[in-house]
Amino acid sequence: MEPLDQELESSELELPTEPMLLNVGPAHPAMHGTVRIVMELSGEIIERCDVQVGYLHRGFEKMCERGNWSQVFPYVDRCNYVSPMLNNVGFALACEKLLGITVPERCQWYRMILGELARMSDHLTCDGAMAMELGAFTPFLWMIKGREMVWEIMEEETGARLTHSFGRVGGMAAPPTDGFKEHTRAVVKHILTIIDEVERLLLGNRIFLDRLENVGVISAADAVSLGWTGPCLRATGIPYDVRKAHPYLKYGEVDFDVPVGTTSDSFDRFMVRLAEMRQSARIIEQCLERMADKGPVNVDDPRVVLPPKEEVYNSIEGTIQHFKIIMEGLKLPAGEVYSYTEGGNGELGFYLVSDGSGTPHRVRIRPPCFLITAGLERVITGQMMADVVPSFGSLNMIGGECDR
Amino acid sequence: MPSFKLDDKDIPFEPGDTIIRAAQRAGVDVPHYCWHPGLSVAANCRMCLVELMPPPGRPAMLLDVLAWDDLHQTYVPQKKPKLQPACQQAAADGMVVKSQTSEHAVRARSAVQELLLLNHPVDCPICDQAGECRLQDYWLEHQASKKRMKDEPIHKPKGVVFGPTIVYDAERCIMCTRCVRVSAELAKDPVLSMRERGNLNEITVAPGRQLDHGYTLMTEYVCPVGALTSSDFRFKARVWFLRSARSTCVGCATGCSSYTDFDPRNQKIYRYRPRENAAVNKYWMCDDGMLDYQRIHEGRVLEARIQGEGVSDAVALEKAADLIKQASPQKTAILLSAEHSNEDNQALLDFGKALGALQLYYSGRPQGQGDDILKSADKNPNTAGVLALSGGRAKPFTDLVAAVKEGKVGVLVALGSAIGNPNDAGALKDLKNFVALSTHDGPIADHAAVVLPASSWAEADGTFVNRTGLRQESDRAINPQGASRPAFRWVQELAKLLTLTLPWKKVSELRSLSQGVDASASSPSAPPPGGE
Repeated sequence: MEPLDQELESSELELPTEPMLLNVGPAHPAMHGTVRIVMELSGEIIERCDVQVGYLHRGFEKMCERGNWSQVFPYVDRCNYVSPMLNNVGFALACEKLLGITVPERCQWYRMILGELARMSDHLTCDGAMAMELGAFTPFLWMIKGREMVWEIMEEETGARLTHSFGRVGGMAAPPTDGFKEHTRAVVKHILTIIDEVERLLLGNRIFLDRLENVGVISAADAVSLGWTGPCLRATGIPYDVRKAHPYLKYGEVDFDVPVGTTSDSFDRFMVRLAEMRQSARIIEQCLERMADKGPVNVDDPRVVLPPKEEVYNSIEGTIQHFKIIMEGLKLPAGEVYSYTEGGNGELGFYLVSDGSGTPHRVRIRPPCFLITAGLERVITGQMMADVVPSFGSLNMIGGECDR
Repeated sequence: MPSFKLDDKDIPFEPGDTIIRAAQRAGVDVPHYCWHPGLSVAANCRMCLVELMPPPGRPAMLLDVLAWDDLHQTYVPQKKPKLQPACQQAAADGMVVKSQTSEHAVRARSAVQELLLLNHPVDCPICDQAGECRLQDYWLEHQASKKRMKDEPIHKPKGVVFGPTIVYDAERCIMCTRCVRVSAELAKDPVLSMRERGNLNEITVAPGRQLDHGYTLMTEYVCPVGALTSSDFRFKARVWFLRSARSTCVGCATGCSSYTDFDPRNQKIYRYRPRENAAVNKYWMCDDGMLDYQRIHEGRVLEARIQGEGVSDAVALEKAADLIKQASPQKTAILLSAEHSNEDNQALLDFGKALGALQLYYSGRPQGQGDDILKSADKNPNTAGVLALSGGRAKPFTDLVAAVKEGKVGVLVALGSAIGNPNDAGALKDLKNFVALSTHDGPIADHAAVVLPASSWAEADGTFVNRTGLRQESDRAINPQGASRPAFRWVQELAKLLTLTLPWKKVSELRSLSQGVDASASSPSAPPPGGE
């Protein structure tokens, strides 16, 4: 130990300058409970970092291989659990692509409305949490209130707030409820107000802007090479949206814009999500207008759709149909398919391999935020330690989806 | 080879083949209920109707029909080709046949299927056939539409007892007559026939008779629907929970190929099914064989015993090794078993060789009734195998009885559970140093000083040689029951305790050792273990 009275000028003592290793997560609240980042800090600057995922790996894809195709729905529910309906619909569309069937129009509109509501819930959560992590608690509460309204619609429609398991191959578990349109219109209107209020509250706030602007920047080229999609990619200025680029359901028939960012920083990602909610509201309004109040929701194909219960109990044909689908599982023809939709975080892909038996041979999920999280290292290297929280938040990594 | 075209696929055939038989051989399925490759052609279900294209230059055979015209809401006269049953139509060179590609055949099948389900009860939830029922499969493949008939379906007798093994449900029956033909053609006992017509049609047993020939379970096996059910399997299991192992029936020396259907959850076997094998049993098995699976769970030795008292494996092994040391090799006898696989017998043979034992005998289950269809009088699955392995040196059980009486046997190491003549059991009583590897209770397990529980044929892979010298492998279905282990494992443990060296360490080595023996070299003069 150096003597206390030694003069600093005359000593040969050097300040230790080797970088400090800091471990954040996985049980850190700002890591959303599921990611670990090992950082090498020079002062407060991150010199290098290692992002480690997988703490929420539950082996969904493997589990899918033991039941039948319908039993996959509860698993996909639990991937991106902030917008499970988008996963449900995405998986149903993949199965339908392999079967070569298209659901009735009413169901397509219904799926779009529920999907866009789910997207709103996703974006409300992400932007709300971002604000909260920067100390702005009021916008968080407001946005979660908005999300709660969306979930009330979901509960009304599906019986479950979060894990709906509502999608079905060839349709939906139930047709829209009577008050669905009215309820949705009211909620969407309310959410738009919330978005306006949040904007007024945050966009005039110096602290909020300073913490986000020009922080967590990634180049468009990097984002593309990493396989980024969704709001994070669009914040870099690339207007790729599966709904526009490869329209599915009725997205080709509705008017909406693809908002893009310019500087591809955390602020852009925040703003893109806000703008997308407004577009979702536009889409929902058009869908509500065009969705018929009556008509079939499920496709008329006995291979995939369960018969009404009175037929199951009273006719042998109904019993057989029920038996084939429940006991043996609906049979997707042997082959493979890749089907992709715009999930809350970007391109949500399902690669299915069927061997023609009732049990999936392989279900591979392309989780958008797995690829986005792969870019986290590039986003935060060279930044201040404190900026990790909003940058990571703006990527909206969902553990369930990333780790599966 | 001549060939015809079926849905644009070339199907080669042998002269005399019907369309369906040639197609089946080529791996193309023409839907059918009444046709069975092992039975005569009835052509009564009409499910295999196909459209035959007329030969070039000849007019098509057309029928005048009335077809519903949706546009004008009336019937209009039309022509439609006369369809032919593929099961009866002989194939001809260059013939063009349309099955799934013929709009008329597809419609006809859908109509046939609708007709067959017209009066069918809503029984799937309580029907044993559910899950392997043709009506279910074909409804989805060929009909897939709702019932149009609004009337109450016709009700017919249910739960009719046909005999000790079969219960009949007339409501589920589609009158394909497969059961009638199995009785008449396979069992040569035409005890079933059909009575009444149309809606009242039902299968009936000849007056004063029961369905009680030796192949009654084949009537249930060929039944494409749930009309005939086996009273043994009835309400016991749901077929979609069962898994199948490829096995060989051990009920007699015929060695029919079979499937062992078991429930992996509770490790229980529920039934056997015949497995097609042109060289042995074609499509069939006898009732005795079909019910032989019951022995796997009945009367088993499930723990090691010393003088009839249950003990731990280690204690029993220790005691067994002690007993084996009690006599000189000259006075040590090895008893092989025709009930057990080549692997088990080879293991014991090698053990005897390592001991230097000079006396070699074999036993097995008593003789039974044979017939000229499938059943052998020799009720042991591996007589030929045992004789071949021992190179003909193994002597029948009666010789062992004589040797015991003469006091020539000091130690007996026995494999198996049964002996040919139950009266000979008395001779075993006098043996003090008697170690048995038994699957079942019986004269051997009863008289042995030490019994080691051996696994049955369903609990280990094994090779059996049937009466024609055909070597067949039987796969393991369930885990060894109780404390049982495959006999060769016990032999291995015993050899370890006695510091004997066996020429094998792994099962694969044991198997290849036992396969080195030419089964056809077995001495043809040797009698089966049950006596002549």
